[in-house]
Amino acid sequence: MTSLRTLFAKPWIWSFLAAAGVWLVTIVFTGGASAAGLSQAALTFAAFSIIVGIGQMFVITLGPGNVDLSIPATMTLAGTVALKIMDSSNGLILMGLLVTLLIGLAIGIINYALIKLLRIPPIIATLSSSFIIQSAAISYNRGLRIKPPSALAEFTTATTLGIPNLAYLALAVSVAAWVALEKGIYGRWVSAVGQNMRAARMAGVPVDGVRAATYLLCAVLAALAGLLLSCFSGGAALNMGAEYLLTSIAVVVIGGTAVAGGFANVPGIWGASLFLFLVVSMLNTYGAAAGIRLLLTGTIIIAVIIAASRRPRT
Amino acid sequence: MKHFVVMTGLTVLLTSTALAETSAKRIALSNNYAGNSWRQAMLQSWETITKPAVEAGIVAAADAFTTAENQATEQAAQIQNMILEGYDAIVVNAASPTALNGAVKEACDAGITVVSFDGIVTEPCAWRIAVDFKQMGKDQLTYLAEKLPEGGKLLEIRGLAGVFVDDEISAGIHEGVAENPQFEIVGSVHGDWAQDVAQKAVAGILPSLPEDIVGVVTQGGDGYGAAQAFAAAGRDMPLIIMGNRQDELAWWKEQKDANGYETMSVSIAPGVSTLAFWVAQQILDGQDVPKELVVPFLRIDQDGLEASLETTPAGGVANVEYSLEDAQAVIAAAK
Repeated sequence: MTSLRTLFAKPWIWSFLAAAGVWLVTIVFTGGASAAGLSQAALTFAAFSIIVGIGQMFVITLGPGNVDLSIPATMTLAGTVALKIMDSSNGLILMGLLVTLLIGLAIGIINYALIKLLRIPPIIATLSSSFIIQSAAISYNRGLRIKPPSALAEFTTATTLGIPNLAYLALAVSVAAWVALEKGIYGRWVSAVGQNMRAARMAGVPVDGVRAATYLLCAVLAALAGLLLSCFSGGAALNMGAEYLLTSIAVVVIGGTAVAGGFANVPGIWGASLFLFLVVSMLNTYGAAAGIRLLLTGTIIIAVIIAASRRPRT
Repeated sequence: MKHFVVMTGLTVLLTSTALAETSAKRIALSNNYAGNSWRQAMLQSWETITKPAVEAGIVAAADAFTTAENQATEQAAQIQNMILEGYDAIVVNAASPTALNGAVKEACDAGITVVSFDGIVTEPCAWRIAVDFKQMGKDQLTYLAEKLPEGGKLLEIRGLAGVFVDDEISAGIHEGVAENPQFEIVGSVHGDWAQDVAQKAVAGILPSLPEDIVGVVTQGGDGYGAAQAFAAAGRDMPLIIMGNRQDELAWWKEQKDANGYETMSVSIAPGVSTLAFWVAQQILDGQDVPKELVVPFLRIDQDGLEASLETTPAGGVANVEYSLEDAQAVIAAAK
C-alpha cells in the first residue's frame, strides 16, 4: 500500500498511465489485433520526441524563461547538410555524423552567445537564431531531397528483437541523461541553477558553464534527431522539424518536469512521448473529426498535467 | 500579299504599343511562406520568367518578397509597404483569404492592381486566380473508379486541419465517394501536406485498419510518406494517388519498373506564380480581364511519368512555367 502510494507520488507515473490507457482503448477497436503493430509504430515515432525532449528538458530545468525554440530549424539544417555531405554513400556516414555533431555544437554556441553576450532573453534569442538557421538550410540546397546512405536508412527503419532500433537509441540517450541528472554533478548543477541562480552562484556552481553546456547539449540532440528523422523518412525536407517545436515542450511538461525549472524528470519523457503519438492514433482510429480531435488532445493533455502537478503533501 | 504585310505591320504596331504601356510599370510579388519545395519552385519560376521580361522591357521591375512567419498580419504590413513604395501591381499568394482584405482594399484605393493566386483573397477589388480544389479531390475518385471498378476500402490523408484548401479537397473526395458508392473511406488522418507527418499519422492508424485497403486518396506532398508507412507495416501496397513531388514520382517509377505499379499524380504547378505575373501585366496593359480565373491542373499519368520525372529537379515539384499566350488563353476561357 505504501509502495503504491509512493508510486503515485512520482510525477512521471501519470504520463505512463495516460499512454497505457490510450493504448488499450486503441487496440480494443480491433479486438487486440493491432497491439504489436501499434506498439512498434509508437516506439519508433516516440524515439524522435524523446531525443529532442531530453534536450529541451535540461534547458527548461535551467529556470523560468529558458526554452529552446530553434529545435525544428536545427533538425532541418542538420538533416539537410548531413544528407548532402553523405551523398547516399555508406563510406561517408562517419563524416555525416561528425557534421551533425558540429552543426549542433555551432548552433548551441550561437544560441548561448546571443543569450549571454547580447543579453537577449532565451525565447527571443533562440527564435531569431532559428530564422537564420532555417534560411541557411533553404539556401544550402533549396529543399533538395537526397536519399540517405542505405546502411543508415536500414538501421533507422529496422527492428531488433521486435523493438525498433530507434527506441534502443532513445533508451541509450535517456539512460545517459538519467545518470547525468540523478548521479552526476552536472545534473545537480542544472537543478541548482534552475531552483535559484543566485544561490547556485554563491554556492560555487559554475552557472555560465552549466547554462552554456545545456544549450549545447540541446542543440546537439536536436541535430542528431534531425539526422535520424531524415534517414528514417528517406530524405530531409525543409519543413520536417516543424511539429517538434511544440512536441518537445509538451513532452517535457506532460512528463512531470517543472515548467518553472529546477526539477527534471527523464522517465516522464517516455510516457509523454508515447502518449502524444498514441492519442492521435486513437482519435484517428475512432474517426474523430479534426476539430474534436484537437479539442480532445488538448483536454487530455490538461488533465494529465493537472494530475501530474498535484504534488502530495509530505 | 499586300494585305498580309499591312496586317503584320499592324500587329507589330499593336504589340509595341502594348509593350510601351507596361514598360514603366513595376510589379511586386507578396508571398507568405517559402519553407517547402513547392514554394521554393514557385519563387524560382517567378525569377525564371520575370527576369527576361524585365530585361526585355516588358515591365520595369518584378520583385519578389516573402514574409518570415507565415502570418497574415505580417503580410498585411508587407503589402502596405508595397503601396508606399509605389508599385503598380501586387501579385499575392495570401496567408489568409480574408485577413488581408483591409490591406488589399488600401492598395486598390491607391490605384494598384492586386492579383491573388493559389492563396486567394476575397476582397472584390482584387483579381483571383483560384484552384478548383474540389474538382482535384473529385478527379481522384473518377480515376479510382476507372482503375478499380469493383471498389473497396480507402484511406484518406488530409492536409492541415482548419485550412480552407484541406476542407475543399476533402469535400471533393467525399462527393466523389458519394457518386461511386462501391468505395468506402475507412480511415482519415491529417498529414499536413508533409511526408514525415503523413508517414507518422498513417503508421499510427494502419494497425487498426482492415488488411484490404485498395487505395489512398491524398492532397499532395503526402504520398511518399504514406507509401513508406505501408512498406514499414509489411502491407500490400494500395493505389496511392500522388501529388507531383519528385520523391513521389521517383518512388512511383521504382515501383512501376519493379512490379508495374499504376497510379496518377495531380497538383498545381508552382509556376502558377508566372501565370499571375502575366495576368497582372495584361491588366496593367489595359486588357479586359475577368476577376475570377481558374488555374489548370498539372496531371501526370502512367505514360507521362518518365518525361515528367526527367524535368522535375530532385527534391522539387513537377512544374510548368506559363507564357503570355497561356495567360491570354486562361483569360479568354474565363470570358
